[in-house]
Amino acid sequence: MALREVQGDAGLDLGDVLGPSGEIATRRRLTGWRRVAVGLAFPAILLTIWSVASATGLLSDRLFPAPADLARTARDFVVAPKRLPVPGVIPFKGAAVEHIRASVGRWGVGYAIAVCVGLPLGLGLGLSRWMAAAVDPLFHAIRSVPITAWLPIALVWFGLGNGAARFLVFIGAVSPIVVATADSTARVPRQLVDTARMLGTRPRDLARRVYLPSALPGIVTGLRLGLTLGWTSAIVAELTGQSSGLGAMMNAAREVTRLDQIVVGMATFAVIGLTGDLLVRAIARPFVRWADA
Amino acid sequence: MSTDPVRTTVVGERATSAPSALAAIGVAKSYGALSVLADLDFSVGPGEVLAVLGPSGCGKSTLLRVLAGLEPPDRGRVEIGGQPVRGPSPDRPMVVQGATLFPWLSLRANLEWGPKALGNQQSGAIVDELLEATGLSGSADLLPRQLSGGMRQRAAIAQVLANQPPLLLLDEPFGALDAQTRLRMQEWLIGLLAERPTATVLVTHDVEEALLLGHRLLRLSHRPATVLEELALDLPSPRGRSTLSDSRFVQLKADVLARVLDA
Repeated sequence: MALREVQGDAGLDLGDVLGPSGEIATRRRLTGWRRVAVGLAFPAILLTIWSVASATGLLSDRLFPAPADLARTARDFVVAPKRLPVPGVIPFKGAAVEHIRASVGRWGVGYAIAVCVGLPLGLGLGLSRWMAAAVDPLFHAIRSVPITAWLPIALVWFGLGNGAARFLVFIGAVSPIVVATADSTARVPRQLVDTARMLGTRPRDLARRVYLPSALPGIVTGLRLGLTLGWTSAIVAELTGQSSGLGAMMNAAREVTRLDQIVVGMATFAVIGLTGDLLVRAIARPFVRWADA
Repeated sequence: MSTDPVRTTVVGERATSAPSALAAIGVAKSYGALSVLADLDFSVGPGEVLAVLGPSGCGKSTLLRVLAGLEPPDRGRVEIGGQPVRGPSPDRPMVVQGATLFPWLSLRANLEWGPKALGNQQSGAIVDELLEATGLSGSADLLPRQLSGGMRQRAAIAQVLANQPPLLLLDEPFGALDAQTRLRMQEWLIGLLAERPTATVLVTHDVEEALLLGHRLLRLSHRPATVLEELALDLPSPRGRSTLSDSRFVQLKADVLARVLDA
């Protein structure tokens, strides 16, 4: 009892030890325009160093194209007049929309299937011990096969075309969705489920009314990871046997050693991946705001 | 209908005259080799508050889970209005220490959950009235995490009362609150239960809380829990902070505390 009182006092005194402002807690949080400014300034500094290094010959343009050259290539990719299609040649100039549309289409279809399969599967694994015991070992074994190792079998099954790419996107996106959904469903506090039952909620409504909303913040993380992994998988799939798409374009550029085109492809890839992630976060935000710290 | 208490120090009027809202008959429960409840017999009359007092870890929470139907007893049975309990039901909701509110819903939506689940069309009016009674009308659109601990606990009790249950099960509902807030909550609960008489089983390890809120006291032993004592608490009402200095209350508290410490 006495010991507890001493500890209690020590706990209260901590504020005084640290001083009225609490030195430990004085690291100010970076918010608003400051945060944006710092986020823009750092890449700008890197870009400047890069430009100078390229201009002075410190960076060989054979291995690292100069920013100005990249900007020109990027402009060509987007706005240059389109040439007549040549069979067997993957176009670059003015072909941005065509390639992006092809890649995003494969991504979207594969991801949609992954969500439709992954959410119910994850919920089932999180809710049913029997299902988890039966499916978990097999699922995690299959999940550990890297996406590149799926490419040969995808090509055999689906041939050269959209099917293989969509399948690869599905494989890449489905496992983080399943894992995050199963895990966050299994962690839903029992108290919430008990309360819902004691309030008269029918057992068959529990998944939809309690487990799903309670697990949603974790599920959204899985959806975001799946989206990014699916996008990566789309590009991997396009490196082989596709006549359109960002991956196919980059592979064609590699064959003729157009480093600038490869880097522009990478940048496009990054921008679209980021946009997709921001989109999913924006859509999910109103539903998971309750869980913000 | 009502069962004979194991040992009755003082026979309360409520215990004998009214038909029981809840009856536990020879209830026993163990987890593997660990015996938690040993042949418990007791009953609760309509509108009666039964305070169940027992040391920490004696199986009080297990007892409530069995009464709620969340866990089946190994032996014996629990009857509500003469019907055996099988599984949880909105007729006997349990509120535990710490919030049981749905964190993604506003306070109002939390209170509306029960009536809506039961298809009660008048949920709006019931919820408005409960928000008023809990002093939370101004916070109806807030999320649970935006409420204080005391507000959340009141809201959790209001949430289950929205279904107007005949029996309420409270598991140390104010245990996590500071002493002043706890006393305010206890006064609030006394007023609430006076306005809408609801048979209540209140589990607590706090002698003062048991004596302040209970119409009758059931004192349990260490694990496996058996009934050591049953005591009618006919202290003057309305009870509240003034009761704490009432000479009979002070004497009773000292007596019960002495028996708890000697047990």
